[in-house]
This record gives sequence, structure tokens and C-alpha cells, in this order.
Amino acid sequence: MGEAIYWPSFFFLLFAAVACAFAVAVLLATNIVRMAFYLVVSLSATAGLFFLAGAEFVGAMQLMIYVGGTMVLLIFGVMLTSQERFVEMKTWSGDWVFAFLIGAMLLMILIPAAFSVPQWSGLDRAEVASVSEVNMATPLGMGLLGVRVDQLDRPHQPDVAAQPDGAESQKEPARQVPIQPGYLLLFEIVSVHLLVVLVGAAYLARARRAN
Amino acid sequence: MSTLVDDPRIMEFDVRTDEMLINMGPQHPSTHGVLRLVLRTDGEVVSEVTPQIGYLHRSAEKIGENLVPRQWIPYTDRMDYLAAMNMNLGWALVIEKLMRYEPPEKGRHLRVIIAELGRIASHLVAMGTYGLDLGTFSPFLYAFREREKILDLFEEVCGARLTYSYITVGGVTADFPSGWLQKCEAFLDQLVPVIDEYHALLTTNAIFIKRTASIGTMSPEMAIDYGCSGPVLRGSGVDHDLRRDGEDIYTAMYDGYAFEVVAEKDGHYPRDHQYPAVPHEARLGDSWHRFYVRMLEVIQSMDLIRQGIDRYSLATDGHGEPMKLTQKLPKGEAYLETEAPRGQMGFYVVSDGNAIPWRARARSSSFSNLWITGQLCRGCLIADIPSIVGSLDVVMGEIDR
Amino acid sequence: MALYLSNFMWSWLAYTIAALVHVVLILSLVAGGALLFIWLERKISGRIQDRLGPTRVGGKFGWLQTLADGLKLLTKEDLMPEGADRMLFRLAPYISFAASLAAYIAIPFAGGAYLLGAAPWVAQHVNVGVFFVLAVLGLEVFGTILAGYSSASKWSLFGAMREAAQVVSYEVPLGMCVVVPVLIAGSMDLSLIGDRQAGLFTNWLIFHDPFTFIAFWVYLTCATASVNRAPFDLAEAESELVAGFHTEYSGLRWSFFFMAEYGSMLSVSLLAVILFLGAWHGPLPIATWLGLTAEHGAIAMNLGKLLGLINLLLKAVVGVSVMIWVRWTLPRLRIDQVITTCLKYCTPIAAGMLLGATLWQYQFPSRSFFGLTEVPQAVYHLREGPQQAVQNSGSSPESREGTDVPEDEIATVNHPARRGGQVSASDTIPQESIARLR
Repeated sequence: MGEAIYWPSFFFLLFAAVACAFAVAVLLATNIVRMAFYLVVSLSATAGLFFLAGAEFVGAMQLMIYVGGTMVLLIFGVMLTSQERFVEMKTWSGDWVFAFLIGAMLLMILIPAAFSVPQWSGLDRAEVASVSEVNMATPLGMGLLGVRVDQLDRPHQPDVAAQPDGAESQKEPARQVPIQPGYLLLFEIVSVHLLVVLVGAAYLARARRAN
Repeated sequence: MSTLVDDPRIMEFDVRTDEMLINMGPQHPSTHGVLRLVLRTDGEVVSEVTPQIGYLHRSAEKIGENLVPRQWIPYTDRMDYLAAMNMNLGWALVIEKLMRYEPPEKGRHLRVIIAELGRIASHLVAMGTYGLDLGTFSPFLYAFREREKILDLFEEVCGARLTYSYITVGGVTADFPSGWLQKCEAFLDQLVPVIDEYHALLTTNAIFIKRTASIGTMSPEMAIDYGCSGPVLRGSGVDHDLRRDGEDIYTAMYDGYAFEVVAEKDGHYPRDHQYPAVPHEARLGDSWHRFYVRMLEVIQSMDLIRQGIDRYSLATDGHGEPMKLTQKLPKGEAYLETEAPRGQMGFYVVSDGNAIPWRARARSSSFSNLWITGQLCRGCLIADIPSIVGSLDVVMGEIDR
Repeated sequence: MALYLSNFMWSWLAYTIAALVHVVLILSLVAGGALLFIWLERKISGRIQDRLGPTRVGGKFGWLQTLADGLKLLTKEDLMPEGADRMLFRLAPYISFAASLAAYIAIPFAGGAYLLGAAPWVAQHVNVGVFFVLAVLGLEVFGTILAGYSSASKWSLFGAMREAAQVVSYEVPLGMCVVVPVLIAGSMDLSLIGDRQAGLFTNWLIFHDPFTFIAFWVYLTCATASVNRAPFDLAEAESELVAGFHTEYSGLRWSFFFMAEYGSMLSVSLLAVILFLGAWHGPLPIATWLGLTAEHGAIAMNLGKLLGLINLLLKAVVGVSVMIWVRWTLPRLRIDQVITTCLKYCTPIAAGMLLGATLWQYQFPSRSFFGLTEVPQAVYHLREGPQQAVQNSGSSPESREGTDVPEDEIATVNHPARRGGQVSASDTIPQESIARLR
């Protein structure tokens, strides 16, 4: 019957408003723990946007890494390093000017960039509704393994066609796909590298005892 | 030595930036009453602990200068309120020493039975609250279940369950009621398997061992230097027990009783009962050993009570008449230490020839035992503080008096 | 549901009602769960400690005791320390509770999406459900930290610091243990993992191989630690930190922390049951024997699901009871021992189990129950279904519209990606790659 409210748009606006409002609150707050709290709300709302777009994996990732991990570590750091109970932070007026300049420049780059992607505009509601059905985490993982997700629906793999016995290749089509290098190894190298950096930082920052 | 802090606010200003000054107590769940510990911590690591006492001071000693000795017995009840019988005994014995009075044979065995029951009751509380300190609630209730049975026995002999005023100068207020000894024996019989439960629940529990072994280790020299006594001293392997090594008037009470002092000798505890072996993580003088010594003393006391019951049944004379309230004390002074559950409890009395003592003093074992916390807790974690203070098993009523 | 309702009324009303029903169901589950578990905790602890526990309120077993406690808490004065950060102090308990509640959004309570033939009973089907639940459960610590920080009490601060250290470190082995069943089921979708374990108890993932068996116990340990239950209840360690992070809380606010705690206990238990203990499938496939499946109509199917729901909740309550039992038996660990347990034991063991399970899966891909039994045909369809569909339809993409799939392959028909009436390419990927790995 009536389409009084289009819910995806409603929630998009809701989450976007929350994310923006609390992002501003982060800027205006002076207490560092409150800043962290506002940041968490803002990031959670962003995660909500991801869920709304059907990118559940990215949304959960956002929750886990940004909201969960980073914020806990930030609070941890604040608590460990702060010397007074409630740390106050004041922004100089010069900093405000610089921040506005840089922020405005970033916005000027981002907005045209967003509108220049042809796929992102002119979608009707039916198309939008179908988006959430196909957005799964699997392509990401497969991508890491070297599977070109975007090319899977090609009718014939070249080497499959080259096989003399087509019937047999149909039974086990997957065997014929050449193994591509993928990004998993690179990804692992990067993460191990990050781990090394973390361990190194912890080593450098550790308290030195006299004996 | 830790320094005494008069005003913690002054201290807070000269602490370094990453240190924190925390008050543990006097309203804190694990400080056993109203002990206040001033902690200086660096994160979870404690750099200094200063015990603050005096929150339970009732001027009992001053009151003792205005009451005849038998009237002061209820005040001794409230010193170590968990072992009130043993407090009564200490005061009664010092007055008897001053008066050169010797209680009759039956009264002597009766006192042994009651004092050792009191020791079991006290050690059960120590065990249960130690479990609480380490975050497990159930052993506490198991301990109290058995303690209640002892209190039932006490209630039958004197009508009170906490502050008995039963042992008094000259004897006891009343003889055992008929059938009491059988009940007492039945209690001891059913306590034997329960002690194995305690060992399973705490002594041999892996987490318990982790929390207590090698925590708060106290060398024998250190324990002697600080004047520690009782299970705290014996937990460090010092073979000293006033029931064997004390003054004659006290050891005469245990004359003819067979018992071995519970202290590690040559790497072994006296083994007159099946009990668990010392875990390899534990070091002599740590919290685990102090706890273990108490558990073994429960078995030792059970054995003493059985011996006492046999001797009491054989004795034919009376249990001793309480001293008259108007009786004048001989001029002079007397000091006697007895082996209370928490250590050497000393009473000192000076008389100028009146019925009321000129001076009455008490020497508390918990006071000396407590004061070593400053040394033991240096460099430990916050979680170790209940583990150490609990193993010292102090009672604030006795320290503050 | 919303689509069904929208046949009768305005769609916005339909959506609102659909959302409200879910919210009310989940809220009543969490609140009812807390009521039950607090009562259960009192009763079990009473029995463990040789007492009776509550006996008076609400009849013989004192089952209304929690309600009486709640009423008492309502009447308590709401205290706030003078130096507290008032806004954060007020918000902290609600953040904890909201995080604990949010995890239930993605937890399916009765499945059968593939075997019984319809969508699982879940508030919002999230195809990375495992990940989502873990992420949201990790947020609960945020409320604790804010509470500790805003209370202006050193004990609270200590509790919060401990909680942060503990939860952050235990998320690592917890995540690794969770990955083991994910790996075997080949999906992060909780309802799919649950249905992978249909049939006899031999299909339960805890019995899949020795590695999953050990991984389950590591998961249980880490889950206990991550929800702050004894022997890992350091954040509120009574004998050390007075009451830890909630030292300064009283009344209703305090009770929200406890609702959150019991809510998290239930959700990690539910997760354990879904991942390892056969989810909504009982040890014996009684629902199938009774014919309570999709083939016998909607009523039979929903009855089967109801049976599954009861099954799931019963197993989860057993899990919570184990946590209660452990709490009233063991002493508390020290903070360094807690972290040592995590970093030196749980994490390496979990990593080893993950590696072992991977190799096992590589070696015995379609075996179950420590490699002794085959994965039954129905479950096999579940994994192989889409791939067979690809084979049946040949290489032409046009014919892969799902219409020519044999009827017995219910699994394929109800694959989530097919519900929209179209097949995406991504459906076929896992199976192809699995085949390639072999």
C-alpha cells in the first residue's frame, strides 16, 4: 500500500546524521575521554551505514577494529599516560583555521570523486534492494586467494576450451582453473610486518629498570 | 621498614606521576574488619604498604584497671573474638600465676578440650576467609558449617556462641553437661572426612596454589625479627610452640599430652595423618605454608581433644571454683604468654594488693604478625595483598583492644 | 514478516511492527534469561554451598527471588560520586547492556534454512554472523571502561583497566577458536554452521575431529574470561577491588551491568552451542523422525523449529550453568596469571587447533565424528548443493536460473542468494575453490 516512508533512506539519513553530529562533537569536546566516546558513537553509526548498504563484513570489521580495538587501546593509552584525572584539551584558534582548510580541501576532493562514479548514481529502488543480496564476504576472501570474482561468470575458461575431452572437464571444471598468485601472501607479509612493528614499539616503550 | 603516614594527602603530593595512593580499608571487603592499608602503587604493582590501625580501639586495657579480674574476662572475649575461649584462658592463667593457684586435674583437661576446640573454630574461620580473599566463596560456608557445630558445643557448656566468658580465674563457670563428651567425639569423627574436602577445595587446588605459593615469603630470621608467632612463625619453619616451649604454668596444662609441633623440619612436616604433600611451587615461609600449618594444627588439635576427653573422663576431682569477686590479689606483677590460635597472646597484670589490678595489659600476636605486611607486600601485585594479609590471619579486635 | 504484513497495512506500519516483534522477543529473552540465571545462580550456589538458596519468594523454589531483588534495586537511591563525569557515568551501564543485547540481533534461534526449508529464526540474518557477534560482544568492554573512568574512584579505574587488558587479550584466542568451526562449515553464517550439524550427535562439530574437541574447551575458557566470570572475574574482584568497575554504582544502573553480564553469558553460550554443540539439532534427529520438516507443511516445519529452539536454549542454559558451577568452585586468578593463561596457553593452543583442523579438513574432507563416519547425504547437499547446481546447468550462465534444480535439493533452492530470484556468481566460488584444493 502506501509508501509513506522509504526505510533505507530513512535509516541512511539517521545513521549519517548521528555520524556527522558526533564527529562534530568530537571536535568541540575538550575532555579526552568524552572525545573518545563521541568518536565511538560516530564510528558505530558509520558501521550502521555499512550494514545498511549490505556490506556486513565491512560493518562488522568497522565495529571490531575501529570501535572495539582502536577505541579500547586509545582509552587504555589515555588512562596510562594521563597525569590528571580528567584531561582537558584546548584547541588553539590557529589550529582551527588549519583544520578547516585541510578538512574543506578533503571534502572538495571527496565529493566530486563520489559523484564521478557512474555506478553510484541513478539507481532505482529495485536495484538498490537487490544490492544487499549479492554483497557477501566471500568475494573478499576469494580475492585474497587469487580468484577473480568479477570474471567468474565468463562463459568459458580458455584452457577449459582447449581440453580435448569436454565432458570430463565439465565434471571437474574447477581443476582446470590455473592457480593465480592472489594477494594472501602479500597480505600475510604486511600483517606480520605490522606485528613486528608493534612488538618493536612495545620493546622501545618498555620501562627500563635499573637492574 | 615502612614509614608511618600521618596525613596521606601530604604523601599524594610528593608521589611520582605514575604512582597512585590508594586506601584499602577500613571499609574494604578483604581487610578482616577495620584494617586500613595505605597502598602506594605503580599500576598493579604495589611499592609500599602501610598498615593503619586504631579503628576498633575500645580502651579495654584502661577498663581493666577498674574491674576485678573476673569482671574483665568479657573484655578479653572481645579481643580475639574468633577465639574468645583462648583469650579467656590467657587472662585466667596470668591471674592464677599471680595468685600461685593451680587448677584441679579435671579442670586442666577441661581447659585443654575447650582451648583446642577454640583453636579449631578459629582456624576454620581463617581458612574460610582466606578462600574469600582469593575469590572463592564456597569454602567459607563449608568452614562455617563446621564452626557452627563447635559453637553449638560451646553454647551447651556456657550458653554463648561468640563471647563465652567461660574459662575464668580459678576454673570454669560450669562443668560439661552430661552427654557433651559424646557429642564432642561425634563432631570430631565427622570432621575427619570434611578436612579432606577442604584440602581438595583449597590446599591442592591448582589456582589456590598459584595464588599462594611463593607469595609473601618470609624467612625464619625475618619472622623472628618481627616478633611473629603462632602459625605465621611456624609457617616459616621455626619450631616453636608455647604449648611445648612456654612457661611451666602453661605447659603444665599440656603435661602428659602427646603432640608434635607443626613446623617443617628437614623438609618434612610431622605426619600423623594423611594429608596432601607440599606442592613443588611452594617455598617455606610463603602464604601457602602458613595456610597449611593452620590446616595441620586443626588435625593436631583434634588429636589433643581426643586425648583430653580420655583424661577428663578418668579424672575424679572437680573442675575448679571460680575466684571470688572480692578476693584481693597478692601484691606484685605477672606476665604470661599463651599459644592462642593466632600466636603468642601475652597478658600482663600489676597488682598493688587490691581486688582490682593496678595495671592490665595485653600483648597481641596479630599486632606483630600484621606489621610484617609492609615488608612482605613490597613489590607484589594488588591481588597479592589479600593473599598475604589473609595468610597472616589478623583480628583487629585483638590489635586495637 | 514485514513483507507478509505489508499485504494488510501500510508498509511503514508493517516494518515497525515487524521490528518491534523482534525487539520485544529479544528483550524478553535477555531479560527473562537474566531473571532465570540470577535465580539459577542463587540456587546452584546454594546447593554447592550446602544451603537451600532462595525458598520463599514465589512459592516453593523461590523462583520469584530475582523479581524481588529487582524491585529492591528499583527503590534504591541512585548515588553518584561527587567527582564523577556525570554524562558518562549515566551512560556506561546502558552502553554495556546495549552491546550485550545487540549480539542477539544476529544469533539464529532455530535454523532449518537448508534442511527444513525456510528462513532461520533470527532477528536479522547477517551472513557474517559469527564475526558480527564477536565484534559486538567486544564492545561491551567499552561500557565497563567508561564506568571505571567516570566513577572518580581508583578502585573503579583499576577494575576498568583490568577488564580492558583482559578482554582485549582474550579476543584473540576466542576468535581463533571460533574460526575452527567456521572453517569446517565453510561459512561465517551462523544458521549455515548450525545446519551443518544436522542429524545424529556425531555430526556435531565438537566431535568433528580431535582439534575441534580441544578448541571447544579453549573456547569455553576464553568465553568465560571474555564475559568476566570467575575465575576470571578480575574486573569486579571483590576481595581486591571492592567491586571493581561498578564500585560506585547502585540501584537500577548497577542492575544494568548485571543484565549485561548475564546477557553476555547467554550469548557466548548460544554461540558455543551453535558453533560446536549441534545448534538447534538434538543428539538424535527426533524432529525429522516425527516428520516435522518442510515437506509436511508449514505447521510441521514450525513445530520442528520450535523443538529446535527449545533444544538450543536448553543447551545454552547448560552452558551457563557450567559457568555458574565453575564460579562457585574455583578461586580467582591474579591479573598476570590471567594474561599468562591467555597468551601462553590459550592462544598457542587455539592456533595449533586451527592449524590441526585445517589439515584434518584437508585430509578427511567429508568425514565426521573424528573421521569415523561420513557426513550424511543431507548435510553433504548443503555444501555441495550449489556446485551441483552449476554442474547440472552446464556452463551457460543463462540456464543457471535455479529452475532446473532437482526437487530433493532443498538446500540449493533455499540458498540465501537465491531468495532474491537470482543467482550471483559468488555462490559458486567456495565450492569451486574447495574442489580445487582437493
